[in-house]
Amino acid sequence: MPKHIVRLFLLVAVLAVAALTAKQFFTDRSYYAYGHYRGDSVAEIASDIPRFRGNEYCKSCHARQYAAWSESLHNNPAAGKHVKCEVCHGPVGQHPSRERAPLSLDERIALGGKAQAPAPGDTTAEGKLPVPKDRTKCIQCHEAMPGRPAAQRQVVLAAHAGTEQCTACHDPHSPKINFAALAPPPKGDAVAGKTVAATCAACHGPAGASVNPAWPNLAGQHAGYLINALQAFKSGARANAMMSGMAAGLSDADMKNVAAYFSQESCKTAGGESAKAVLGKARAASCALCHGPAGVGGNPSWPNLAGQNPDYLSDTLKAFQDGTRNHPVMTSVAKTLSASDIDNLTAYYASARCK
Amino acid sequence: MSQQDKKVESKESKLVRRNFLKMLGIGTACAGALVGTGSLVAKAQGTESATAVPPPKIPDYDWNKHKWAFGVDATRCIGCLRCVEACKAENGVTQDAHHFRTWVERYVYLEGEERAHVDSQSDAQNIAASGSEKEFRFDNRYKDAKVEKAFFVPKLCNHCTHPACVQVCPTGATYQTKDGVVLIDHSYCIGCQYCVQACPYGVREFNHVMGVTDKCTWCYHRITKGLQPACVEVCPVEARVFGDRNDPQSPISAFLRNNRVSVLKPETGNAPNVFYVGIDKEVS
Amino acid sequence: MIGTMAEAAPYVGYVYPNETDIPWSVLIVIYPYITGLVAGAFIVSSLYHVFGMAQYKPVARFALLTAVSFMFFVPTPLLLHLGNPQRAFNAVLTPHWTSAMAAFSYVAGFYICLLLLEIWFAFRADIVAKSKTTQGPLGTLYRALTLGSDDISPRALAIDHKFAFALAMIGIPAAGGLHGYVGFLFGSVKAREWWSSDLMPIIFLLSAIVSGIGLLVVLYVAYSKVRKVPVDADCMKGLARTMWAFLLVVLVIEGLELLEMFYKRLEGIDMVQRLIEGPIWYSMLIQWGGSLAVLAILTVLIVFKIRGKALETWMTVSGVGMMVAVLAMRWNVVIGGQELSKTMKGLLTYYPEILGHEGLLAVALVFTCPFIVLWLITRFLSPWEPEARKEGTS
Repeated sequence: MPKHIVRLFLLVAVLAVAALTAKQFFTDRSYYAYGHYRGDSVAEIASDIPRFRGNEYCKSCHARQYAAWSESLHNNPAAGKHVKCEVCHGPVGQHPSRERAPLSLDERIALGGKAQAPAPGDTTAEGKLPVPKDRTKCIQCHEAMPGRPAAQRQVVLAAHAGTEQCTACHDPHSPKINFAALAPPPKGDAVAGKTVAATCAACHGPAGASVNPAWPNLAGQHAGYLINALQAFKSGARANAMMSGMAAGLSDADMKNVAAYFSQESCKTAGGESAKAVLGKARAASCALCHGPAGVGGNPSWPNLAGQNPDYLSDTLKAFQDGTRNHPVMTSVAKTLSASDIDNLTAYYASARCK
Repeated sequence: MSQQDKKVESKESKLVRRNFLKMLGIGTACAGALVGTGSLVAKAQGTESATAVPPPKIPDYDWNKHKWAFGVDATRCIGCLRCVEACKAENGVTQDAHHFRTWVERYVYLEGEERAHVDSQSDAQNIAASGSEKEFRFDNRYKDAKVEKAFFVPKLCNHCTHPACVQVCPTGATYQTKDGVVLIDHSYCIGCQYCVQACPYGVREFNHVMGVTDKCTWCYHRITKGLQPACVEVCPVEARVFGDRNDPQSPISAFLRNNRVSVLKPETGNAPNVFYVGIDKEVS
Repeated sequence: MIGTMAEAAPYVGYVYPNETDIPWSVLIVIYPYITGLVAGAFIVSSLYHVFGMAQYKPVARFALLTAVSFMFFVPTPLLLHLGNPQRAFNAVLTPHWTSAMAAFSYVAGFYICLLLLEIWFAFRADIVAKSKTTQGPLGTLYRALTLGSDDISPRALAIDHKFAFALAMIGIPAAGGLHGYVGFLFGSVKAREWWSSDLMPIIFLLSAIVSGIGLLVVLYVAYSKVRKVPVDADCMKGLARTMWAFLLVVLVIEGLELLEMFYKRLEGIDMVQRLIEGPIWYSMLIQWGGSLAVLAILTVLIVFKIRGKALETWMTVSGVGMMVAVLAMRWNVVIGGQELSKTMKGLLTYYPEILGHEGLLAVALVFTCPFIVLWLITRFLSPWEPEARKEGTS
């Protein structure tokens, strides 16, 4: 065999041995331990630090919020609802921490989560978790949207709250408004109130049935609402040429008493065009949430509407629309109404039975 | 050519042939020995793994005792996308609209139409609605349309029993664990993206900063600590169910017992381990 | 850092969110293309070395050098495309044999060794001669390549010849395997409708051979012009027939595949149709238009026994045409396959970067390198030795 062939074979053999040695030398020791992969990588991946840490972790400091939440609709395991703390507040990470996160989120991505998980300093500088300020968080689940199962509580935003923030009425930790749990209005003396009511009679009638359709009937109205209204006139939160002066002369006791008097008087239904009332009834569904199913019996802080004078009602809605009167909910709700909506609604409520 | 010449030549060529064959024989033997040694070594390592090798060093966890699986009840999903954001935060997934370990699809059938309109949170209109590629929401584009049927479908890695992605990985950087999770060794992946091609479900994505492929791990760092995957942890409506099939009391065992489930693209032969309830013919 | 990422691909219909980041760029178009040129060039050299077809003798050794020059650059686009090219050896250290890609380093490595050995045997006499006449570092290199043996006796050369023959014999299935393997790499991806085909390896292989012959024709004509020697007419005729035959077969197979696809009308065929009419219509036009035009030219050249200057010119045109058409075919497969969404409900459109490490400039550079290396190698080992010398070596 010629020399060059022998040497060629030697060269090939040397290279092959070198290659096999290199393979043995460079292959990770844990490779093939469990299969065709680096065995150590399993434990490495498992050693990453979780960022979502669960409700119990939050509970240890935020007991009050936790207690409110745990009784609420947002924690209803029977119905399969678990809106846990981190669903709205984001991952806990290493909160609470006084130090800024050692790594930014981008750096963490670059390290593939191998390094220490950053404190939530990557979202807020103080190591605090975000408290959602606008309604975006609520809308993510509760905006009425095709595709959402019927069991999910959903609202048509414009009709439900206009542009109002959800937190104006709802506590996110306990979102259902619990009317029964609200403090009852202070009890006043109706007999003493009758004396005070004499000054009101010129406009609102001796028994609270108004003499002018532009002024509200007071008979049968929630006492709580009447007190609130008088206090608002007195403080200037609500302005009216006549009422501001009238309320200025009343003490807190007077207000309680006169409210008690009017609330116990029997109301009289003002009446409205029945054709419009039919249309108004259809539009009134979103009002019912606060003002009661047929304009009576809602939250005592908010007025009954049934039997009320139609002119007064439409003036009020227009005042909310043009900003002469303001209320967190009503201002935006009123802006969703057209002129004919207002006509129909006022006709409906004016003709609704007030008892 | 004379007789003698022929003889000499034939003798010479015989010699040449013999030598050639000899060398060929030696060569073959050498090659055989090398291959044999290699396979012997591999075999020795193989038998070792079957008997003596302890499970990976994960505190309080033995992967021989678990068999993980995932359930999705599409009839419960409200499309809030908390899972998508939670996954990105938990796992440091690239913060844009083109890289996801999990996502949600929306299927909408309008009255009088045969085919569904499909979109996901990545859709340009949805990104416009959220105003950012770091937060996600579905816009309400169908609110005034005549919708016949609509639903949401969460998607994630199926952690298949016969994963096509693992089959095609040239290095063994992606693999299936004993407890049924398909993982990627980010320090071993060369970044060829063959696995991205091979996955019929489009669940693998490429991390351009690290130069490696990335995918859902069912939050292996959480489930080995007794926690739920981040997406399951934050799902407010129990649309995502996770658990151990070895435990008959686990949520996933109950889910599989109580529902008639289907899997995505069964024709690929991948045998997924994410089981769906309430999906439709157009979902794939 | 996100800036290193290419723009997300625009799409119509519904695609999975991750699909907008197209995994395989234009670099992966050039990879099977270069591999194909290697396989084609090697097959031509084998026609002489194994099958003894004398008309290919003028290009036989040149074809070997062409094959190895291009083979050196087959891994380049792959390495440029990897997210972690420094770990590429992981695939060699721990090849995962269920992966078609794991075989790449072994198949390609084996093939490079085979080509180098084949060249060594074919050029050994020249190397020995040069080692004695050349001074300086180049001379040292020649002397190293002789492995310290200047045995060019008829007996030694006869043995060399047997080895060269055996290697060429192995080389044919290896070249077939090398490129059939690339076809398998795509054809075995069941997740991609446009790739997943049993015919993919054979289509890749045959089109590879056609493009390789095309390259060889162009290079041979160009070298002859530079060297101011006449082009061998018999060789040209032979190449025309080989190219014609392979082209005809590949067109029939590709045509049949499309026909079957549209005849069966399996689920998703509408999207396939929209893919062909949409994102890849121009490259489909180049592929099919170019191929059919070349087929027509070759038919005329063969039927009318065209000779001389006209043969030379039209063969060059055919060679270039085939190289362009096969490049378009690679684009249609690699990019087209990824533009068809896995949802089968949408189509993406891929726009290559211009600069950037996966851009068109990188591709142009990668594709220029083999030509430069070929030029250097032919300076080092001239495949165009005088007739007398060639008789002795081959």
